[in-house]
Amino acid sequence: MHPVVRLVNRNLTISLNMGFLIWQVIFPLIYIFVAGFAYTALIHEVPFANKRLDYPAFIASGMIGFNIMNSTLVSGIIIWNDRRHGMFEQILVGPFTRAQYILSNVYTIGIIGLISAGLITAVGYPLFFKSVEFNILTIPLVVFASITGSILFGSIASIISTRLKSSEGFNVVINTVFLFFAFVSTAFYPAEGAPKALAMAFYFNPLTYLVDVVRAGIFGNFNSLVGLEMLVLACGSVILFVMATKLLSKLEL
Amino acid sequence: MSCIEARSLSKSYDGLEAVSSIDLSVSAGKIFGFLGPNGAGKTTTIKLLTTLIAPTSGTIHILGMDAIRHPLEVRKKVGVVLQQPSYEPTLSVEKSIEKYAMMWNVDKKLQKDRVEELLSAFDLHDIRKKKNDDLSIGQRRRVQVAREFVHDMDLLFLDEPTVGLDPSARRSLLDYVKKKVREGLTIFFTTHILEEAEYLCDEIAIINKGKIIAVDTPTELKNKFGREKTIKIHIGETRKDLSVLLQGIHDYQIEYDSGTIITIRSHSSEDVLLKILQILTVNEIPIEDLSVVPTSLEEIFLTMVKNSNASSGSISK
Repeated sequence: MHPVVRLVNRNLTISLNMGFLIWQVIFPLIYIFVAGFAYTALIHEVPFANKRLDYPAFIASGMIGFNIMNSTLVSGIIIWNDRRHGMFEQILVGPFTRAQYILSNVYTIGIIGLISAGLITAVGYPLFFKSVEFNILTIPLVVFASITGSILFGSIASIISTRLKSSEGFNVVINTVFLFFAFVSTAFYPAEGAPKALAMAFYFNPLTYLVDVVRAGIFGNFNSLVGLEMLVLACGSVILFVMATKLLSKLEL
Repeated sequence: MSCIEARSLSKSYDGLEAVSSIDLSVSAGKIFGFLGPNGAGKTTTIKLLTTLIAPTSGTIHILGMDAIRHPLEVRKKVGVVLQQPSYEPTLSVEKSIEKYAMMWNVDKKLQKDRVEELLSAFDLHDIRKKKNDDLSIGQRRRVQVAREFVHDMDLLFLDEPTVGLDPSARRSLLDYVKKKVREGLTIFFTTHILEEAEYLCDEIAIINKGKIIAVDTPTELKNKFGREKTIKIHIGETRKDLSVLLQGIHDYQIEYDSGTIITIRSHSSEDVLLKILQILTVNEIPIEDLSVVPTSLEEIFLTMVKNSNASSGSISK
């Protein structure tokens, strides 16, 4: 077995525990079924491209991106946990190179991101199936967003993992980052209609791009703005991945 | 054949030399003890030899391979138990050894047998289903050490492996290490516990302030630096003048005198002991107990480190 495959196997074993799976499924389900239906009394429809989506369909599609971010932030902290529990050094004195370790984390994050996206798509599908317009062009959009989004958020978690030393500092930063990404985005509400400053802030958040591309894939709405968002997502994931790799390569032991 | 060959090996951090131009040569099939006080450079040396960090200067050959040019090839043949704990908190004891075997690409058929053997050898059977996060420090250390024996290797680095272990677990580990050496493994072993080094090691190097101050077998180190013996006499009555009575004897040093118990150190212990017995007999002083203790490796170690500190202090001045 190739060293990277062995490391991915190990990463998945330590990451996919019951607590993680419950967190991954229950958390978005609450948003979809509790918040989604509860807010229907306030928000009847949400304008999206040339459609009007009911709120549960809007939030369920948003939860796909949200869950990719959520799961990859958690799996991206494999590096943090490895450093905290001495496994980072232990792996590096084993039959692995740093590049293999980094690559294994990227694959792990990608796999977990895709599983999360698939899981929430399956759960949320009954809610948005009326408006779904899958076609040969739009399905790759969802896959593209899932992969680039996973790498992007996984890289952010990796960067945080390499820069911080104390558990307290790490928890504060990761929770702050999570709150910003989750709620200053188009996952829960559309940018249109929000105060201008807030709507602008949405676009400083990679989750907005991820969610918009996923929605474009699900509801069959590809246009130049979505194309631009895909470009931003791709560039952001490459830049952050290179940064995370460099920081990890230079991490002193 | 030499398993480890390091020449003029140095490592500096921000201008401070953690390891300063050391030479090491470790023969195959031996247990090489690496001793030194805290901060002496033991862990830095292990990190250099295991390719975890690169040296500032010098050469390292491990199992005949250039460790600086081919670190991965070296690591494939070497096992390392680092000083710091390392564990997967969410995995059970059994699962963590199995996963470690998988990471080392151990044949699946062999894995099961080896895991069972290690669970038994390190007394982990009762806690095999317990998660690492729920173990005591000693149990976790046992798992960490046991895990390393699951894969094939020619050389094993053990950085203070017995820290946190109770005496019986410690002895089991040392005996298991001895057994593996008899089967052909070479061990590079660091410890603070000098009795362990004495019990286990074929050769010992003492490092202080990044420099190696002695390398030899435990016996030779004792012969060279430990000719001094300690004579302990317990007399049957309190005598305030005991040290005065012994004044005529040469080559001795009183370490402790309570009036009933006196401890003396001497390089000529037989002569000194005879003279003391004569003096006690002439003065009709009854002897309750008498013993002569050879200098332990610990005392040699402490003396050498003290002398090394004193000489480096005088140089720096």
